[in-house]
Amino acid sequence: MPDSRTGTRRPRPEVATKLPRGTTARVVLASTRNAWADLTATFTITSWTLGWLGRIIAQVVFYALIGSLLGSPDRIRYLFIGSAVLATAMEALLVVSTTTRERYSGTLPLLVAAPTRLWPVLLGRSVQWLPSGVATATVALFVVGHAFGVSFTLGDGFAAFGVLLLVAVTTYGYGLALAAVVLRFMRLRNWATNLSYTVMMLVCGVMVPLTFWPPWVQWFAQIFPLTHDLQVIRLLESGTYTAREVLLHLGLSVLVALGWYTIGALLLERLVTTGRRDGTIEFAEA
Amino acid sequence: MTALRDVDLEIPEGEIHGLLGPNGAGKTTLCKILSTVLLPTSGRAEICGYDVVADTAAVRRLIGIVFGGERGLYTRLTARGNLQFWASLYGLSGAQAQLRVTTLLERLGLEQRADVRVETFSRGMKQRLHLARGLIGDPQVLILDEPTTGMDPVAAQEFRHLVRGLRAEGRTVLITTHDMAEAEAICDRVTLIDNGSILATERPSTLGTWITRYARVRADGVPPERVSSVTAALEALSGVAAVRESAPGTLVVDTAADGAAPEVLRLLLELGITDVATTRPDLAEVYLQVIGKRGMRVD
Repeated sequence: MPDSRTGTRRPRPEVATKLPRGTTARVVLASTRNAWADLTATFTITSWTLGWLGRIIAQVVFYALIGSLLGSPDRIRYLFIGSAVLATAMEALLVVSTTTRERYSGTLPLLVAAPTRLWPVLLGRSVQWLPSGVATATVALFVVGHAFGVSFTLGDGFAAFGVLLLVAVTTYGYGLALAAVVLRFMRLRNWATNLSYTVMMLVCGVMVPLTFWPPWVQWFAQIFPLTHDLQVIRLLESGTYTAREVLLHLGLSVLVALGWYTIGALLLERLVTTGRRDGTIEFAEA
Repeated sequence: MTALRDVDLEIPEGEIHGLLGPNGAGKTTLCKILSTVLLPTSGRAEICGYDVVADTAAVRRLIGIVFGGERGLYTRLTARGNLQFWASLYGLSGAQAQLRVTTLLERLGLEQRADVRVETFSRGMKQRLHLARGLIGDPQVLILDEPTTGMDPVAAQEFRHLVRGLRAEGRTVLITTHDMAEAEAICDRVTLIDNGSILATERPSTLGTWITRYARVRADGVPPERVSSVTAALEALSGVAAVRESAPGTLVVDTAADGAAPEVLRLLLELGITDVATTRPDLAEVYLQVIGKRGMRVD
């Protein structure tokens, strides 16, 4: 900066532009703490149990009752498992809502102007929904499920719980990519999540088997990690599976999710570069 | 649309510089460019010798941004939680981060409420936390975007005191504000900006000479029945440019010659009017004169 009092240009100060090793991991962790603070501010144990969990259980039971109207125990179980696992995915998609709040709260320009990248912040920012989503589906599947004929052996139950964790983490990757798009085009905010949720409910084998759909829809459904994870949970519940087919589906789920995480990170960094160019990173949002 | 045009501004190190102008004048655009969240389509801007486009990483280590109000805070986190979060983004960790956070909380008088959620904070406390957040990276340059909007006078005064402290540390502060009293109170120099162009950059006191370079005399408590006669007597003095009643019982006398003010004062005292003072046009008056001319018109 020139010194106008002396008319001389001072030598510019040395600035260490390289951040210390481990900064990205620490940012994700710090963001995760922020996410947890959000959850504890939103819910108490009581309000989560009586409000949120109750609402999700009612939703799962509602779909199972449709199965009972169709008079088939298989259909009851099918709909119950599908809607219970969908609950985990649904909560993981709340990453879109939490992420876009960064614009409204005025933190986005500060994040952009900070020395770190944006994606590690937003990677950790909405993880509060993952344990919540896993917990609701766990209670639904393993507690309420008994009343609707859904049962697991102890080993398969533990494995199914692990797959629920995977549903949360993999769908979160998809949600993060979606959030990056919505953060750029905020007018999509209200319907992007609902559209995704509806499409996943229709094509991922939640309400009807994948084979119900024409081949191109079945191919399209592969882009959602839920398709693969849900199939594994159904196999575990049925007790008739081979390790190979379970591992194949799990592998596909992880691969697809890695793709979504990569796309999400790239889109978030792209948001920064285009936002700097076209002035869409505002200090104050209307 | 061109948001900024022919802007040429240098701010020396350690200066508190005010950016004044109406909404849409280009203040925020300038701050966004300096904050690296907006790329200029042409021209260049530097922070401590680093180009905001080419040396973005260096500039981001040198600046701190401070907003006003709720913007930019995680209100569900505690004050400490907010600072720890931002510390991690600036590459601070462990004991170093703890020390920086604790020091800032103490310095800004927030240590008693450090572990309370920010959503329960008063406006003034939030603003102190904003400043602490802006200082977390130990920046050389602070950009304050309307920091005292909506603050009560006591809290605003306290905040200004803190900003003056930054100058004492050798930091450079660029502050956008609508508050003329604030600009006058803390800024070493101010820049008036409108329609994306700089109208003037001066010391707040010097800007008054835009309206008049001569002293102005203000007389209070003039009895209503004597306003006309006193006005006539004053107008008859040589060197008096204008006399107007700015409020009931208050006369403002603009002079237009050196040495006219003492004559005006003497006459007023002879007429038995003792509540008198010499003044200069304040910044608010200059602002209204220069920018307020356009009224409600948006260019």
